[in-house]
Amino acid sequence: MSTQQKAWLPALAVIAVFLLPILFISPKTYITLTISGVAMGMLLFLVSSGFSLIFGFMSVLNMAHGALFAWGAYIGFSAFTVINKWTGWGASDSIFLNMMIFLLVLMVAGIGVALLGVVVERLVIRPVYGSHLFQIFITVGAMIVLEELIRMVWGPDDEVMPVPMNFIGSYDLFDVVVSKYPLIAIAVGSALYLIVFMILRRTRLGMIVRAGVENPEMVQVMGHNVYRYFTGVFAAGSALAAIGGGMWATFVKSIHPAMGGEVIVFALIVAIIGGLGSMTGSVVGALMVGLSYNYVAYLIPKAALGITMLLLVVILSIKPTGLFREGT
Amino acid sequence: MNKENFNPVQRFRLRETEERYRNPYFFLKILLLAFFLATPFLFRSFEILDVVLKIIIFSALVASYDIILGYTGIVSLGHVMYFGIGAYLVGIFVGKLGLVSYGYLALAVLIAVVISGILSVLIGFFSLRIRAIFFAMITLAFLEFISILSSQLRSITGGEDGISFKLPHILAIDYSFGRFLGIEVTGRIVSYYLILLVCLILFLLMLRFVQSPVGRVLQSIRDNEQRSIALGYKTYLFQVIASSFASCVAAVTGACFAIWVRYVSPDSSVSVSIMLDVLLMVIVGGMGTLYGGIFGAAFLVITRAFLPKLQTLIVSLLPGVPFAARLSERWLLYFGLLFILIVYFFPKGIVGTAQEMISRRKEE
Repeated sequence: MSTQQKAWLPALAVIAVFLLPILFISPKTYITLTISGVAMGMLLFLVSSGFSLIFGFMSVLNMAHGALFAWGAYIGFSAFTVINKWTGWGASDSIFLNMMIFLLVLMVAGIGVALLGVVVERLVIRPVYGSHLFQIFITVGAMIVLEELIRMVWGPDDEVMPVPMNFIGSYDLFDVVVSKYPLIAIAVGSALYLIVFMILRRTRLGMIVRAGVENPEMVQVMGHNVYRYFTGVFAAGSALAAIGGGMWATFVKSIHPAMGGEVIVFALIVAIIGGLGSMTGSVVGALMVGLSYNYVAYLIPKAALGITMLLLVVILSIKPTGLFREGT
Repeated sequence: MNKENFNPVQRFRLRETEERYRNPYFFLKILLLAFFLATPFLFRSFEILDVVLKIIIFSALVASYDIILGYTGIVSLGHVMYFGIGAYLVGIFVGKLGLVSYGYLALAVLIAVVISGILSVLIGFFSLRIRAIFFAMITLAFLEFISILSSQLRSITGGEDGISFKLPHILAIDYSFGRFLGIEVTGRIVSYYLILLVCLILFLLMLRFVQSPVGRVLQSIRDNEQRSIALGYKTYLFQVIASSFASCVAAVTGACFAIWVRYVSPDSSVSVSIMLDVLLMVIVGGMGTLYGGIFGAAFLVITRAFLPKLQTLIVSLLPGVPFAARLSERWLLYFGLLFILIVYFFPKGIVGTAQEMISRRKEE
């Protein structure tokens, strides 16, 4: 009973954050901001869920996650350019074809970075399992190397991320300006959340992974090759980061090699707020951060990052382990 | 005093004090100090003086980081923010507010130390209570926060451009004492010795801290936290003490850095890339040695200073190979690879590995 009551607390906190700004903002702007906040939250969720899952399952604090995110954005950039040259779907008027190329690009980015993740996990992280200190160092090293490889492959300058035709602009619903892309981001993000959630909740694989988050040794004892799952989870987390990267790049319409470093901090904060190793926590934390960031960025632009830190500090002082338990 | 009744720690310390001056390392240290003292007279070029002083400052910074990492066993990824706080307070006091006097300079350093101490205690209380790994994430978040703050608060910090400033009187560049031993004793030389003195004091302070009872408790926590808890130590309190001490030291080194370069900016004093440098210095030098910081700092500062020359050399050696030029531009890549390789093969760093080899030889 008591645990069920407590489960309401985070939900109430989210609703409070959600409704508070309406005191200061006109309702129309509020809706616009809310939509872009939710979109940002979905993107943050994609980045932080992988991070959180990797930490929960493998207890690896993956500092290279931001670099994988940037790789996703760059692979997405190249994939879009190539596919668009072949098919012209990106420049077409049909929103269906636009959506097709967008999903295809995200898929390519996800698969590409998942493979990269397998390489990173096998080569770099596997030799130092069990030592937190060296894991952090070695993933920091991996982050530097991956970022520099981006600079070598694509050049050190900023690139303009191409965006499908129909993703630009906004709808005007009863005088409320709603940008198109955030809606798409919300749709894709929610779909991915559902897929990941279903895999974790409804499949045998998900059961093993959730068990591994709570106790990897026990999973090993039960006869599963836990290292193979480590590789799999790392690849999946990398793919989520890459999809997040591709979507983020489409959102801000530009990419640069160091873009991962900026986002990883948000992902860290989201993962801590939500509770490390918790999917639900990731999504709730991401929404909280995304919404509060957008509201405050509108009200007091300079304090936008400050509110995120404040959120972190407040939540850690109320609930030091984050909002949700591991494996939920 | 009866030596028979000493406990192991007291015996160990007695042996340490007795052997202090007979130890070969002792002479090595004196030699190093003598080298630092003589540098302005040995090398006339400003470039080399600059490199040597940066080595000194970063050695102190890395040593303070080593107290957290190597002696306490918790990972901070935001240690550079205290360095930045120190640098920025000097910049703000002397440059922005125009309070060019020794008193205000000292006040700036003092305030920086106090702010760093309070901030690190707060961060420690928030994050170390649950899991030491939280500390790494939260310090990184705070570093990013302060770094962004320093580039956004234009009116206070000068934004991306930073603040450049003039120092009072003796420390000013155009000040001259006249000639001494064939070199002109300018404000630069005076500030060199001042900073050397400050860093030396900091270093001795850190050595003292590490060998104090508190320092020994910290090492016991690093080696076996459960056991320290069982022995009745409030481990996280000790970790907070260590991190706040180290951050106060880092604030002072930051102030020294600002005094030397007479300029602060987000890129030069508070950014993630400096944090990466410091991490690399610690890893190259070796964790848990304090002296390792000197080697790590020397390695990285020297490589950084001479890389541009190396690049032009490579390009001139291999003309017409654009790939070589492209590869030599990406030296950060090699730092990253080095990072990984050192963690693989020399997890104890230069000094740590050397110490291990020497002790092994002694046993044989």
